[in-house]
Amino acid sequence: MAFPQLIEEDMQFIDKVLGDLVRKSEAVLSMVVEKAGYLIQQHGNADALDTTTLATLGSNAYNATHFMAQLVNEHNFTSMYQQGETFSTLILNIDENCILVLIFSTDHTVGSMKYYAAPAVKSISGQLSRASERGETALDLCDMNPDDVQALFRRA
Amino acid sequence: MAIINRATKELQLKIVYYGPAKSGKTTNLEQVHANVQVPEETTKSKMTSLATSSDRTLFFDFFPLEATTIKGFKSKFSLFTVPGQVIYNATRQIVLRGVDGIVFVADSQYDKMPENIETFQHMQDNLKSLNLSLEDIPYVIQYNKRDLPDVAPVEYLEYVLNNREVHVPFFEAGANKCEGVFETLNMITKLLIHKYLNK
Repeated sequence: MAFPQLIEEDMQFIDKVLGDLVRKSEAVLSMVVEKAGYLIQQHGNADALDTTTLATLGSNAYNATHFMAQLVNEHNFTSMYQQGETFSTLILNIDENCILVLIFSTDHTVGSMKYYAAPAVKSISGQLSRASERGETALDLCDMNPDDVQALFRRA
Repeated sequence: MAIINRATKELQLKIVYYGPAKSGKTTNLEQVHANVQVPEETTKSKMTSLATSSDRTLFFDFFPLEATTIKGFKSKFSLFTVPGQVIYNATRQIVLRGVDGIVFVADSQYDKMPENIETFQHMQDNLKSLNLSLEDIPYVIQYNKRDLPDVAPVEYLEYVLNNREVHVPFFEAGANKCEGVFETLNMITKLLIHKYLNK
């Protein structure tokens, strides 16, 4: 199943869930990331972080570890954890297409992150299911002039 | 698998540079990163490379690039490379996940032809394992390293690598001098946008 097209209602819902999660868990940053590497939504203090790159690295790390788990016949793979000295990262599976990435201070335990993240994962998964059920609307680009895309990128 | 976000009015597309070892995939991305025109230099994203100590791609290179706004939708392209070495085939498969468009970077040198062919076959196999097919994914071929001696004629490369039912666009390139790099990138982005234009 493809990643659904998101509308304002979906984004507001996801943003609220991520906001609640950050507030309750005291995580530094929470992100919903599509497994091909796209950052969908983020909440928290991302001032000093390149969240686009973080999202891409997180999704690929998750996919690689998932692949590794499958090689050793471990099919129940739903999360991964990187323990740091100052900040740690927890990545949780949301559904077939998405993961939740949490960056948190090592003052907090991974257990508490998992505790607060579990209902958030469920809520986001539910909203993405509703978005999928809504179906897709074609992207209306029909009156665009094809000449406009002759050279999207130019050499400086 | 493109992401269409109607709330943020964004169209996100993933382009993967695929090809045999040392064919110039990372060089292509480095040249785009170094030379692409952006409204302000401060807005240019950085390029991320997960490489070995000897500077060979271990997992992938990544460079996010924003393009024009099309009918109110901001188009964002994520450029990736895969590792060329055969031992990293599993990671190539991971990077291909959710791919929208492919640039196959072939090494034009005669003695690299078996590697070009083998890598192309691996690419098809990896796509198949992800339930994808070249018939559904826009792709272009870049014949790189045209500046080196002992390169095969383009007609020969075309016969070997671009001899399918659908003949795809191809470009001659010298990626180390940024020749053919932007032409290739613009063609794959154009094919991708047209795919959505025609939907």
